[in-house]
Amino acid sequence: MENINSRSIKLLGISLVTGIFLTACGSEEPAMPELSFEESLQEQLIQAQSGDVIEIPAGTHDMTRSLSLTVPGVTIRGAGMDASILSFKNQIQGAEGLLVSADDFVIEDLAIEDTVGDALKINESTNVVVRRVRTEWTGGALTTNGAYGIYPVQTENVLIDGAVAIGASDAGIYVGQSTQIIVRNSRAEYNVAGIEIENSTFADVYDNIATNNTGGILVFDLPNLPVQGGRNTRVFNNQIVSNNTANFAPEGNIVGTVPAGTGLMVLANDNIEVFGNEFDNNQTAHALVVSYLINEIPFDDPNYDPFPEAIYIHNNQFSNGGKNPDSDPLNMLKEATGQAIPDIVWDGMMIPGKQGKDIICLGDNGGASFVNLDAANGFAEPSFDAAAHQCTLPNLSVISLSPAE
Amino acid sequence: MIIRFMRPLVVGAILFSLLACSESPPVFHESERPLRLSDWNLFDLSEEQLTPSAASMVFHPANQLFTDYAHKMRTLWIPQGLQAQLLDDEIHYPVGTVISKTFYYPRNSEGQLLKTTDPGNEAITLQENLLVETRLLVHRESGWDAFPYVWNQEQNEAFLRVAGTSQAVALKTDNSESDDSDDLDFMYFVPNENQCSGCHTTDHPGGGMRPLGAIANQLSSTISDGRGEISNQTVAMMEKGWLSQQAADAATISWRNESASLEDRALAYLDIHCAHCHNPKGAADTSGLFLDGSSSDIVSMGICKPPVAAGGGAGNLQYSIVPSEPDQSILVYRMESSEPDEMMPELGRSLIHSEGVQLIRQWISAMSGSCQN
Repeated sequence: MENINSRSIKLLGISLVTGIFLTACGSEEPAMPELSFEESLQEQLIQAQSGDVIEIPAGTHDMTRSLSLTVPGVTIRGAGMDASILSFKNQIQGAEGLLVSADDFVIEDLAIEDTVGDALKINESTNVVVRRVRTEWTGGALTTNGAYGIYPVQTENVLIDGAVAIGASDAGIYVGQSTQIIVRNSRAEYNVAGIEIENSTFADVYDNIATNNTGGILVFDLPNLPVQGGRNTRVFNNQIVSNNTANFAPEGNIVGTVPAGTGLMVLANDNIEVFGNEFDNNQTAHALVVSYLINEIPFDDPNYDPFPEAIYIHNNQFSNGGKNPDSDPLNMLKEATGQAIPDIVWDGMMIPGKQGKDIICLGDNGGASFVNLDAANGFAEPSFDAAAHQCTLPNLSVISLSPAE
Repeated sequence: MIIRFMRPLVVGAILFSLLACSESPPVFHESERPLRLSDWNLFDLSEEQLTPSAASMVFHPANQLFTDYAHKMRTLWIPQGLQAQLLDDEIHYPVGTVISKTFYYPRNSEGQLLKTTDPGNEAITLQENLLVETRLLVHRESGWDAFPYVWNQEQNEAFLRVAGTSQAVALKTDNSESDDSDDLDFMYFVPNENQCSGCHTTDHPGGGMRPLGAIANQLSSTISDGRGEISNQTVAMMEKGWLSQQAADAATISWRNESASLEDRALAYLDIHCAHCHNPKGAADTSGLFLDGSSSDIVSMGICKPPVAAGGGAGNLQYSIVPSEPDQSILVYRMESSEPDEMMPELGRSLIHSEGVQLIRQWISAMSGSCQN
């Protein structure tokens, strides 16, 4: 027992001398750090409960790091897309502005500006509403801008309504690897791709304005992705106008192959219905339907179908297009014919045994012109015979997202 | 007789140390978010050193992640009376388990922080080191939760920073104090809680967080990469009563192990730095690039694989990996970038990891073949 006592006393002695537990015991409490607006907002996003509405007050809020949300059932709401601005001009960390991976997510009435990478990325989420949100790079169409503005990927039941997307170096509004999609009442301007639906199924894209992009609206299906087999998209009642901005995508990206002056490009998708759109002043071509092979990028994917099929184009208005194509073969065609590039262009590639009609089916488009480029034979014998494609197909069904709408 | 005397001695010490707020066992908080690291009692902090609680075990994963040359001390604690289970070659920790990882930098007598190789210390002396942050992974009824605590300037407490923090750091690249030009100046980022799950949720998004270091194949492999020889650490867990049997010896390779083959080291590097997202269920499965070694399809591994949504991260290059052409490989480009929208990994570093880049460059250089049809 003597031992114990002497030991204890000794320890006490050391403690007194060095003052160890002043700090550990909190007799002199270390001060709590204060949080910035940015840190408070991120903390709110992390500690949110399902059903919460997180308000972004009016004003320009400087963000230096990516924001993120993983709690389902949260609404982020600003005071308007020109009032509540999350500015990432001084961003130093994170590959996106706001990264969301949460079901039942609503974001509305705010802007996300000048992110170093993607502005709003929503990954693997179900029931997503993006309403009256603006994503913008304010310095104009620059290669150094982030890739995507509004970017849901691997999502289901997505509504993008009344959005504005400006300046993305890939796509302004990009829905990838998703299903059950509506993009409407939105404006995409000065992006490489205005609106892009990629490796996705069951999408309605309507009542949008795509203007001053490199390509207005793209519907793509690409190889070597976990979700592919893009099909069943309706593109209707859009204004696809003056998409002649020089391509400013970083090289190596698939949209880098899109010629400036493209109105609509359908690549390797099946069952697409294009109707009621107004195409004007797209100076490569208004509507291009191509296979993945046209890019001459080799691919190794036994599950991938590189050819489009059942692309039904009817009741569109075409005016004033194809006069200055940003494409060598199309320029050669223009030289050879002395005419503007036709309104509807097909590369002519398909699986042996198919007919042209199986790929492109043309309804009444008010006398729109057409060309089959014969790309498979080195553009040797282009054909302008629209009659070979006259047909009708059953209309695709309406996408309904209730109750998200 | 001596043994008998030991017990009262220990009890006496514990009684005393309760007073001193040290050496009482760690505390499992079931639901709240304690604001101070000291609320967990995981460490004994004196003016001289940060020492893990005697009830904890310091562990060393076989293969380790680069975090801007920070040194790391990791602890594992399972509440008394509880046990982990070995099921299907994996350790399943009981609710109440707390795993910690303390990030720190060594410093010289002038207080300058140094870039050195992590020796795997089991206590941190404050004279020679600067504590930066301590991250906790806590196993609760609802799953694993992550908490980032950031050390204050006084080095006497770390506070919970749910939203993370950042601080400017300058690292001297060698111990000679003559040349400042080699200093590494960068912003050190403490992740926010969501960013913790960005790596620790390997089955995205529904799988929940899980430990990445304190797992069977990381603990039961023999380590011989400069940290000394460490053998199967699940034996020590068994001795603590945390496991009823040890895990079978595994063969996880450290990318730092220079006696391993170039390919094994490169794959080990990609596995620990990339595969938490780049796996068929991970957050980066959208890219179709899988770096977890599970894929037998060389395109999925990146060889001659075009980018999908890389944006500027593609660096104007065509493929993730071009055999024998590291300069043509997006993988290398993104490892050599420190731009937030281009760099990979997206989280966990501000600096370019030159040793890692060199390894991956060598691996790609040694590949045969090309990407032309």
